[in-house]
Amino acid sequence: MDQSISEDELISVCGKVGKILLTSGAETSRVEGTVEYIGRAAHYEITCHATITALFVGVKNQTKTHLVKVRLGDFNLEKVDEINTMSRKFVNGQIDFNELKKTINQIDKKVIDFTWPQKIFGAALVSVAPMLLFKATWADLGLAFFVGIFGYLAAALSSPRIKTPYVAAGLGGFTVGFLAAVLQSLGIATSAGNIIVSALMPLVPGVAITNSFREIIDRNTISGVVRAVDAIIIAGSIGAGVVLGASLSAMIFNLIGGRL
Amino acid sequence: MRVLIELVVSFLSTVGFGLVTNVPRRSLLPAGITGSLAWVAYYLVLQVDNGLILPNFTAAIVIGILGNISAVMFRVPVNIIYVPSLVSLVPGGIMYLGMRSFTLGNEIRTGRYMFNALTIAIALAVGFVVAEVLFYKMKPFLIHSLQRRKNN
Repeated sequence: MDQSISEDELISVCGKVGKILLTSGAETSRVEGTVEYIGRAAHYEITCHATITALFVGVKNQTKTHLVKVRLGDFNLEKVDEINTMSRKFVNGQIDFNELKKTINQIDKKVIDFTWPQKIFGAALVSVAPMLLFKATWADLGLAFFVGIFGYLAAALSSPRIKTPYVAAGLGGFTVGFLAAVLQSLGIATSAGNIIVSALMPLVPGVAITNSFREIIDRNTISGVVRAVDAIIIAGSIGAGVVLGASLSAMIFNLIGGRL
Repeated sequence: MRVLIELVVSFLSTVGFGLVTNVPRRSLLPAGITGSLAWVAYYLVLQVDNGLILPNFTAAIVIGILGNISAVMFRVPVNIIYVPSLVSLVPGGIMYLGMRSFTLGNEIRTGRYMFNALTIAIALAVGFVVAEVLFYKMKPFLIHSLQRRKNN
């Protein structure tokens, strides 16, 4: 079996595997582990070094190295799982190398996703934060359920259209801040602050900052620091968006109040 | 009664974040159970110790152990259980509050919120490390019992 696999082909497939894993939100240690695992199953000594922005794959004692550039991506954990299943099948000998290559290419192109209504419903569920139970009023939490939908939609719909990074997160924050402030000014909501914190739950990078510390403790210092800085800047753009949204609403209500 | 409500809401929260981050369908239920039990552990410890470190640390240990067990049982990478179950614990809201104070130019509150966020994140990460150390001691027994159940 090992005769049929050329070194170049193996390295390029490994590079693709690593790239998909990194952009879908896997930890660097898992990326390196999976790539080296596939290499060993193909009887090559593959070495892989992954940081969050680049991936190097090479065969031990050879000069050739394959470099793949990676950009930070969103979570798409289903892709991580599919790659994991495929590599496990390949290592156990259930599928051969050509089949692995074919499926990896398919996974790379395929858009694996829940449907929009499912994702919106998910975001709405996250928007009712357990942290605020019995602290915020039930009506506020119910409003957060709907405000969260709009915030998530604003961020998710604008992110493929706007190429400038961090603007999408800011737009999500802007929407949430504006809606919450309007609801409070209309007298429907009791506390805009509680609604904002609750409805921002699907947007804020809390999981990212925790994962970054897990990476730092795992001695993947570079990836950890990159993820942490990214998380802080996302939080900053959300915060700025909320402030802008809330002050816009205050301005509008001042104008209307002045005219009445 | 209150514990029950906390359990249900955190379960829904975890499943919701699972939908947002696209986890495979077969891991939604184990992730939801892990997330809700971890939140209840956090809540119960919070009644005894009103700090930041101990409740989050305990919750991370619960997620770490249950997540690794369900990863072995359902054959998914651990991260797929970790990410959704973390959502109700992580310091995302506090980070937002901190960066908002930063935007408004309130340095004292910025410092306090960001320090809290850092503390929580580190407590969670250390909890995971401890849980993984514990889990690798338990792993042989788990695999043994799974195999025995398969044979029966």
